[in-house]
Amino acid sequence: MPAVFSANLVDLVTGGISFLLTLMVLSYLIGDNPVFRIAIYIFIGVSAGYVAAVAWHQVLYPRLILPLFSASRGERLLLIIPLVLGLLLLFKLSSRTASLGSLPMAFLVGVGAAVAIGGAVMGTLLPQTQASMNAFNLSTAGQYQLEHLGEGIVMLIGTVTALAYFHFGAKATASGPRRGKLVGIISWVGQIFIAITFGVLFAGVFMAALTALIERLNFIITFLSSL
Amino acid sequence: MNPRRFPSLNAVISTAIAIASGLIVLAGYFFVQAANGQASLWTDLRLTLLDWAIILAGFAIFIGVFNLLQVHFKKIQNKQKGSFYSLLLILSLLVTFVFGLVRPAQMGFVFTTVQLPVEASLMAILAVTLTYASIRLLRRRLNLLSVIFLVTAVLMLFATAPLPFLGLIPGLSDVLRPFIAQVMAAAGARGILLGVALGTLTTGIRILFGADRPYGGNK
Repeated sequence: MPAVFSANLVDLVTGGISFLLTLMVLSYLIGDNPVFRIAIYIFIGVSAGYVAAVAWHQVLYPRLILPLFSASRGERLLLIIPLVLGLLLLFKLSSRTASLGSLPMAFLVGVGAAVAIGGAVMGTLLPQTQASMNAFNLSTAGQYQLEHLGEGIVMLIGTVTALAYFHFGAKATASGPRRGKLVGIISWVGQIFIAITFGVLFAGVFMAALTALIERLNFIITFLSSL
Repeated sequence: MNPRRFPSLNAVISTAIAIASGLIVLAGYFFVQAANGQASLWTDLRLTLLDWAIILAGFAIFIGVFNLLQVHFKKIQNKQKGSFYSLLLILSLLVTFVFGLVRPAQMGFVFTTVQLPVEASLMAILAVTLTYASIRLLRRRLNLLSVIFLVTAVLMLFATAPLPFLGLIPGLSDVLRPFIAQVMAAAGARGILLGVALGTLTTGIRILFGADRPYGGNK
């Protein structure tokens, strides 16, 4: 078989599979149907298999299996700990032996909690607080100092009131969280800012979805015209 | 003996492991450099523990995939409704995994042929479902907040892209949109982010103090 023909054949097959899957997924627009479900189940299976293969090639083989046979003695001894913890984690597969898997789970949760704390403090709390303060830095505003100050004040009000909506002291009741009178008013203003934020996010997601729809329709037309 | 008052040895060891590993990793964040300017012992420990956690996460992925196989295999065995879909899932999973093991360099083929078109099509469906959801929101929950939400979304849509025959609307695209997106929405987003960060901080500290034990430490 000539190389050009085989390359074209591969393109045709991959394009055909993509075309079929696209149509199967888009068929959801006329309602939930078996064709859509087939596409989704195949997608989930392929994604899970893909993730497992990536986990093997990117994590387990290069970080555990390969060093266990090729690294120095000290490193090999050190790797026995994650190996044992990993094997203990496998006991989670059965409900009878699941309690043995709580040791590696505890390790994962402990490390995860510390990473989350570090990320929250250094990745969100400090930079966002710094950015809120920078809004009042008039030296960078040039001739628009008053506008800059106004924007800073609106941002401060929005940030504080939206944050008050997450007031941890609110009592949970059947009709929703119950707050003190002052916190209630502040969090109500915060809700307006949150609604605006979600409105902007919604518009962004909608435009991205619309772009994807146009791209898929374009793909269908291009594929059909290339046949 | 009351088991509530005397936790099992497994629970005590689990809690000790969670607290110790968490505190060591946390210390690694704060004591980055030793006195001689090189990476501190805490940093080395943090990196080692993170490496172990990544390996364990790799094991966890395999457990999750195996559990998925187990669930769908049982569905087929019990001839439950939709077992044909389960068969498709198992076959596609095994074929992809074996292909990935044997031909890792060609895994991009699977991505461009199956994952990309399905994900892009799902995203495309979202355009229709979001429109439908916003209409339903107006019909079912018409209050001030939902009106603000939808008016903001519509304003953003009209102000972002040039409209046919009209182009960009003056005042809307150059004044109102930047103010809403970069000041008001940014303020709300900052409040949400700070709230989430404070919640994460509280949850993390509760775990490190042993007050919360989501790994099965009898609490």
